[in-house]
Amino acid sequence: MTELTISTLPAAPLHVLEIWSNAASVAKRFKAAMGFALPATGRSGGNDALRLIRFEPTVWLVEGDTSALSGILSDGGAVTAIGGGIVRLRLSGRGWRTLLMEGGVFDAESPTFAAGCSAATIIDHVNVRLHVVDETTCVAYVPLSFSQGLLHFWEQAAESLVG
Amino acid sequence: MTTFRFDGTTYTAQAGDTLAAALLRNGIGLVGRSFKYHRPRGIMTAGVEEPNALVTVGEGGRAEPNTRATDVFVYEGLVAKSQNRWPNLSFDVGAVLGLAAPALSAGFYYKTFFGSAKKWMFYEYFIRKAAGLGNAPTLADPDRFSQRAAFCDVLVVGAGPAGMQAALDAAESGKRVILVEQDNILAPSLLRDRQEQDADWINATAERIRAAGGVILTRTTASGYWEHDLVTLTQRISEPGQIPAQGVAQRLWHVRAGQVILATGSIERPMAFAHNDRPGVMLSQAVRTYVHRFGVVPGKRVVIATNNDDAYKSAQALKDAGAHIVAILDARPAPAGANSGHRVYNDAVPLSTKGARHCLKSVSALVDGKAMDWDADLLAVSGGFTPVVHLHMQAGGTLDWNEDAQAFIPASSRQNVTTIGGAAEPQAIFQMVPVSSPKKSFIDFQNDVTLADVDLAWAEGYRSVEHLKRYTTLGMATDQGKLSNMAALGRLAEKQGVAIPEAGLTTFRPPYTPVTMGLIAGASAKDAGAHVRRLALYDLHAAKNPIWQPLGYWFRPRAYPTGGETLAQAALREAKAVRNNVGMTDVSTLAKFEVSGPDAAAFLEIICATTVNKLAVGRGRYTFMLREDGFVFDDGTVWRLDKNRYLLTSSTGGADRMATHISYVRQFLCPHLRVSAVNVQEHYAGIAVAGPQAKAVLATLIGEEPPRHMSTVPAAIAGVPVIILAASYSGERAFEIYVDASQAEAVWAACEAQVNEAGGALYGLEAMEFLRIEKGHLVVGGEVDGRMTPHDLALDKMLNKAGGYIGASGLARPALSEAGRRQLVGLEAIAGDIPEGAMLIPSEGASPQGHVSAAAFRIIAGGSVALGQLTDGFSRHGEILIASSPTRGQQARVRVVAPHFYDAAGERYRD
Repeated sequence: MTELTISTLPAAPLHVLEIWSNAASVAKRFKAAMGFALPATGRSGGNDALRLIRFEPTVWLVEGDTSALSGILSDGGAVTAIGGGIVRLRLSGRGWRTLLMEGGVFDAESPTFAAGCSAATIIDHVNVRLHVVDETTCVAYVPLSFSQGLLHFWEQAAESLVG
Repeated sequence: MTTFRFDGTTYTAQAGDTLAAALLRNGIGLVGRSFKYHRPRGIMTAGVEEPNALVTVGEGGRAEPNTRATDVFVYEGLVAKSQNRWPNLSFDVGAVLGLAAPALSAGFYYKTFFGSAKKWMFYEYFIRKAAGLGNAPTLADPDRFSQRAAFCDVLVVGAGPAGMQAALDAAESGKRVILVEQDNILAPSLLRDRQEQDADWINATAERIRAAGGVILTRTTASGYWEHDLVTLTQRISEPGQIPAQGVAQRLWHVRAGQVILATGSIERPMAFAHNDRPGVMLSQAVRTYVHRFGVVPGKRVVIATNNDDAYKSAQALKDAGAHIVAILDARPAPAGANSGHRVYNDAVPLSTKGARHCLKSVSALVDGKAMDWDADLLAVSGGFTPVVHLHMQAGGTLDWNEDAQAFIPASSRQNVTTIGGAAEPQAIFQMVPVSSPKKSFIDFQNDVTLADVDLAWAEGYRSVEHLKRYTTLGMATDQGKLSNMAALGRLAEKQGVAIPEAGLTTFRPPYTPVTMGLIAGASAKDAGAHVRRLALYDLHAAKNPIWQPLGYWFRPRAYPTGGETLAQAALREAKAVRNNVGMTDVSTLAKFEVSGPDAAAFLEIICATTVNKLAVGRGRYTFMLREDGFVFDDGTVWRLDKNRYLLTSSTGGADRMATHISYVRQFLCPHLRVSAVNVQEHYAGIAVAGPQAKAVLATLIGEEPPRHMSTVPAAIAGVPVIILAASYSGERAFEIYVDASQAEAVWAACEAQVNEAGGALYGLEAMEFLRIEKGHLVVGGEVDGRMTPHDLALDKMLNKAGGYIGASGLARPALSEAGRRQLVGLEAIAGDIPEGAMLIPSEGASPQGHVSAAAFRIIAGGSVALGQLTDGFSRHGEILIASSPTRGQQARVRVVAPHFYDAAGERYRD
């Protein structure tokens, strides 16, 4: 039997951080101010107050308090709110990897897709961003309009995994 | 014991029986009727290549027609029905077609195309009536179908001894391994042949593969090999017609493999001789499978015909099981088979069989030039072995000819695929040529294709094997020529006087075995498409029970009928509320992009064909976007929210296309700009409030003077921060309120309460369409149809004179401003209602000069109006035309006018 729970996390502020120039100096200022480095592509970094997940070469998804970011970015980038359009679904239990293979195209079963890793992929026609929290938890960031449909799809798929 | 039903009679089966094994166990020899001549057919094989024993399994929506009885495992309550017979299997009226066989030879239906069309209409009825085998279920399939991705270093197809060993070696060297087997047990050939590697070896090997992290999938067929070593697997989770334990009946796997090892074995070939299709004629290895694996002895008096050594194993198996081996007909000269302990006739080939509908009675053969007969109830034949090279060929591989085996074997491959085991090294056989009458010597049992049909095709000029296949229907249908192709190639080569490899080869296409439509559809089988996109305010709308309108993947309220209103009545009431008082609607689906940075205005002036950088903070404007060829592809509004921050809106239907366009411009055309362009379509829910009372309603909601037309302010409604854009699509004073979608319900509720207080109403897409048509506003996909330039739409005065926008160069081409182009016009009905989509013609029978893109009614004044595209339309105002829709049988006389039927001066949305 595969253990798996799917839960919807409460709405929370989410932002897109994009750096368009002076990336090295922005990164330096960021690390000095926040105490951790901007994560590399496909990785996450941060703490309880602020977490960044890098999905594109110059773009990070930001969870938490972004009030300090504008000052750090100066004219080198921008922060834009997108949280209203994203639903966070938490997949808990060892079955999350198998679940993500349903209707998927991404190798979520790879051992290298471990805690701190992130990916942007398509699952059952829906663009989804994934963040591995730990070996038994993955958070999926799903467009609001598709979230009910994908949740239903996952709940049905999970039945055949855990039944 | 398990019980099942076949054609209404209940039988018992043993655990692990296929339906074919269970039928044989119960003494049933007649299982089906052939496609064309309705000849009685039995069970020929024990695998997926079965051409004869096709049945419908299951009931209602779960019924699966054309299921091979050899490829379904009996479960309690299984229901199977024979096919292509009436009134019953034993007495089938259709068998009379056998008498008409001379008229129904190869390509007969092509010949029905000759002569007048009237004749074909006559033939067509009967051909359609006779076409097909089983019937597709008319009820929806109640089960679910899963599609799952998988990745591995090594995919091994076929869990025979070679495949299992390869999987074990790969898994224990640390590779991620998937091993698939189409049977429900591993290494079924070992069970059939009782080789040295026994059940203990199978179990131990499987355990070691799993212990090393390997995945083993049984009842799983590698059905297709695609580019970049992508292999599709079809997995039966429940048997055909069976209620699945977890709701999922089948799974389609998309496996991306680093390497693929094909251990697919080979398929035994039948022999071509007269009446070789009777029940009781069976492949030799199939006989051995039934004896050793299922404990079923398919005959008591057995003749075996072979051209190889393998069939002697079947003879021994039958003898051990108590059957009497009457004769072994070995095509090879003596001393082949001399030491077998059986009565062997060398230089012997079968000539014909006799029998009844249900069974075989005798076999005749040509032995060393003399005819001989034997009474027998089973004829086991082995005409050699055809390696299963389908996946290798689908992967783009080539084949070599193996003279000893008289078979094609895998050669080079364009992908990372290797073939091992029996598929790479088939057994040697003796080449034999059919000597029997070709008329009843079947080579494609499923399609009733005989050697005579191949001869006829040859005589009629069909030289290419691909043409031969299509003319005779050989190699089509569920078995896809698994048993027939080599026989046909042999006959064609014989006719051509060349060796088989020179005769050509047909194409191996996926799927290897039939795949159900539900499996291909996957989770979408129930919805016939992708997920429906839900509005953030879906629940609030749903509570009012609106009429929903699909719009791309979205569903939006089309109207909110009350008190038994029709759609038209509701929409007119809603539109009148907007014209006379105030209405509100959900506009959340509009595309929205937040563009930030010092170069935001410069970036937007590349995207938009209008000026942007002159906008003051807090102001907005209408804008439109061009393709590189100069044609309009979307429109919307652009708003300067702050010094370096803009909000761009565009159409719902073009939202994804616009997102792609903006990303392309940002990443490839303008990587140097200091700008961030973020898709915020779903971040903001949007609510439009429109009508003469809209300003007052909004003032109450935000507690201050609302912004003037085409201005924007931040505000708060119900304590929630919002952005107010003063813009009008309806032609009335109107506002769009944008709010973080997660907080939109409170804002909607506050707006609705205020609108109700003012005596207003909600309005849906239908009313919005009435309003915008009357006002003459464009819609993307209607008036903006990809063929219209800004000039054609009378937008050219808004073009950015400085140029620099995408499409500026394309638009400069002279042809785009020459006379004779279609141009936007308004149309007023003189008589009749204007049909939407109608063509515009000057008189009956004349060529169309344009079409109606959208039609509606004047909301207050009444009367039919429309927007349309008309050749040189700007200069034709006042002309009378006919709007004709022959497909609907509707017509109206219309007058060409300017495309503004309401407040042309735009006074109603300005304070």
